[in-house]
Amino acid sequence: MTGRHWRWVWMACALLTALPAAATTLIVEAALDQDIFEPVLRAFQQANADIQIDYRDRSTIDVEQRARASDDPPDVVISSAMPWQVALSNDGLAQPLTTPEAQQWPQWAKWRNEVFGFTFEPIVIAYRLELAAAMPPPSTHRDLLDILTHYRQQLDGKVVSYSPYSSGIGDMLFQQDARYTPRMWDLVAAMGAANTDFRGTTRSMLEGLTAGRYWLGYNLLGSYALVWAQRHPEIIVQVPNDYSLVMMRTALIHRNARHVDAARRFVNFLLSKEGQFVMAGETPLFSVRPDVIGPYTAQRLRDEVGDHLYPIPVDATLLAFVDPLRRQSFLKRWNRELKILRQPAD
Amino acid sequence: MMRSLKRSLALWWLAIMLMLGGLMLIEAWSSAHRSADQALDGQLEAASLTIAEAMQWSDGMPLIEIPASALEVLATRWQERVFYELIGADGQLITRNAELPVTARLKREVSKAPVYVDATYHGETIRLHGREVSSAGWDTQEPVQVWVAHTCIGRDELARTLIERTLTRILATMLMAGVILIFAMRAWMMPLRRLRSALRERELEDTRPLLVDVPEEMHELTDTLNHLLGRQRQHRDSLLRFIADASHQLKTPLAGLRSISELSLKSPDPRDWQQALTTIQDETDRTSRLATQLLNLTRLRHQVDLADTDRIALDRLLKTTVLEWAERQDARDHDIGVEIVGSGPFVVCGEEWALHELINNLIDNALRYTPAGTVITLGLRRLNQQLELFIEDNGPGVGVPDPASLIRPFERAGRQDTCGSGLGLAIVASIAERHHGQLQLSHCQPSGLRVSLLLAVAESGHGEEDQ
Repeated sequence: MTGRHWRWVWMACALLTALPAAATTLIVEAALDQDIFEPVLRAFQQANADIQIDYRDRSTIDVEQRARASDDPPDVVISSAMPWQVALSNDGLAQPLTTPEAQQWPQWAKWRNEVFGFTFEPIVIAYRLELAAAMPPPSTHRDLLDILTHYRQQLDGKVVSYSPYSSGIGDMLFQQDARYTPRMWDLVAAMGAANTDFRGTTRSMLEGLTAGRYWLGYNLLGSYALVWAQRHPEIIVQVPNDYSLVMMRTALIHRNARHVDAARRFVNFLLSKEGQFVMAGETPLFSVRPDVIGPYTAQRLRDEVGDHLYPIPVDATLLAFVDPLRRQSFLKRWNRELKILRQPAD
Repeated sequence: MMRSLKRSLALWWLAIMLMLGGLMLIEAWSSAHRSADQALDGQLEAASLTIAEAMQWSDGMPLIEIPASALEVLATRWQERVFYELIGADGQLITRNAELPVTARLKREVSKAPVYVDATYHGETIRLHGREVSSAGWDTQEPVQVWVAHTCIGRDELARTLIERTLTRILATMLMAGVILIFAMRAWMMPLRRLRSALRERELEDTRPLLVDVPEEMHELTDTLNHLLGRQRQHRDSLLRFIADASHQLKTPLAGLRSISELSLKSPDPRDWQQALTTIQDETDRTSRLATQLLNLTRLRHQVDLADTDRIALDRLLKTTVLEWAERQDARDHDIGVEIVGSGPFVVCGEEWALHELINNLIDNALRYTPAGTVITLGLRRLNQQLELFIEDNGPGVGVPDPASLIRPFERAGRQDTCGSGLGLAIVASIAERHHGQLQLSHCQPSGLRVSLLLAVAESGHGEEDQ
């Protein structure tokens, strides 16, 4: 809410300073918490007084629907659902950005110069201090499977993870996990046996952890969890030591953007050194650029947790995750695996 | 327009190169697209095979996890937009990410063999590939059609690169050919240059044949030049001889005048003076006449072309001229007659004064070189399209085997007994030449000389006004 107030203040300032120039209103549909993103928006407004930002903070599904709606198209689409963003581009709903910043952007973090991954958010494990007292705290996926197997009674109903049903991110993360190792299904089976709860957002998982409903959370967005842990010392955030997925928020300029110039300036700002500097210093989104220095940069994260960061590449492979039949068969197996270990217990 | 060998050669070369280059470019274009298609159709095939491999039947339903790698292969390194569609045997949709333009005909064709076609999807050109896969299951064994497609950024770029490469090669070839052509042209022009410099460096008096090393094709040119030089040499020689002769001719009477005047001045007798003066007067007359003749000849030779021609009735001119002579003292001892054969008109085109002078000279010559009592006949007759004007005498004739040599100036056939200038026949020959006539000198039987001039008859039409 404070962010929203700030926004109005800044918009008023922008209006006052840019009265002679015709102000453009840039429509940004974003699946990215405004509280977290506010410093970046503010920095952009400071640098571009002639552009007002109409920031619409929504869920990934809403953002996707708005982007595909034919009437009133947004100018910029930001989402954490990487497959959907790439699908938008593949369906011809994005337009390329050809500024030097866009050209020099790392190849693994962009697609067709249309979809740009501009953050670097590790996927983490979060647990309460009680868990560390009762059992060895997990630092790898194997540890996770071990404690789920050995401390099933203690953890029963106290584990939470992303739901592949109600969240695009959850679905993507588990599918990506399954791509890397078939042991993921053992983990799913173990989670099923522990009657794991599946939630739609990282925030609700964190709230549950703080409230003590859960002891252990798996596949949380590190950007949110790290900020949360700073204010809630009872929660420990662990970046898995064997391998850690990294998710990127992606931005694209809509094909039918009404304020193309403003949209280009905005996306370019997200990729620029200034924008990334704000992200590295004032948000937990982590800067992708290696030339940016701050507490939250991909480089620093690599230095801390080692070389086992696996960013989900922004490329055509993501399109497989949105195939309905693949999703259907994935969920079919998901349901089967969840029940495999549970049945004899019942 | 000036014709330049170099320019026309260059133009021909350019035309040939443009034509060849155009053909090569067309070929390059089509082969580049073929190669690009070949290269990238492989990726389509790989993708379709990977998808086919991933398909399984479960409970009578096709179950497929679209392999992520298939889409990555399909996207290629140009990051194409990728499309796929899987269709069951009875046309039911299994899964897709785009509604591909698969026609009923394509569906029929793909059941026989894999298909590769260019198609249009929402206004964009795509390459579409389809294959039919039969997969075995416990309940169903229905074939499934796998259709994959991608946009053509990579193909276009690949083809463009290939075409650019070919174009560079073509241009380099043309450039090289052009440079070679320039050098070849230089080499070809070398003999011409040598000839030019040989001609340029030549002294005006030098009329020796040219000795230039030229290729076979240019021998004709040098031969012609040498021939011209030879003729010029002859002309020059005759001119020099003429001047020498003329000087000599003028010098002799002047020497005579000098000796006469010297002798008479030594004599105290006025009667000697009287006689000397009379001799001097005669001699001066003769010399003056000689000078006039020389002038005439020079004028005739100098002005090659006829100035202004008239239609001249030759018979009338002949009669008038003979009548003039008949009244003169010089002709009293000779029998001059006119013989006009046939009826006129005897009209030619020419200068009246010149023809008058010609007849005068002929008569004067005949009178001078024949003894008294000789019969001189002037005649005119028609020979087809020509008129023959002739003069013959029954005098002693000339003592040279070739009478034609008499037309050279100062040639008197060894006769120094007359007071003729020796230019009469030369003037006649010049006038004949000016009128494009043929002058013939021949011996008469049993004795005497015949001079005849053949002139073209003037075109009829104005005959009446000359009558």
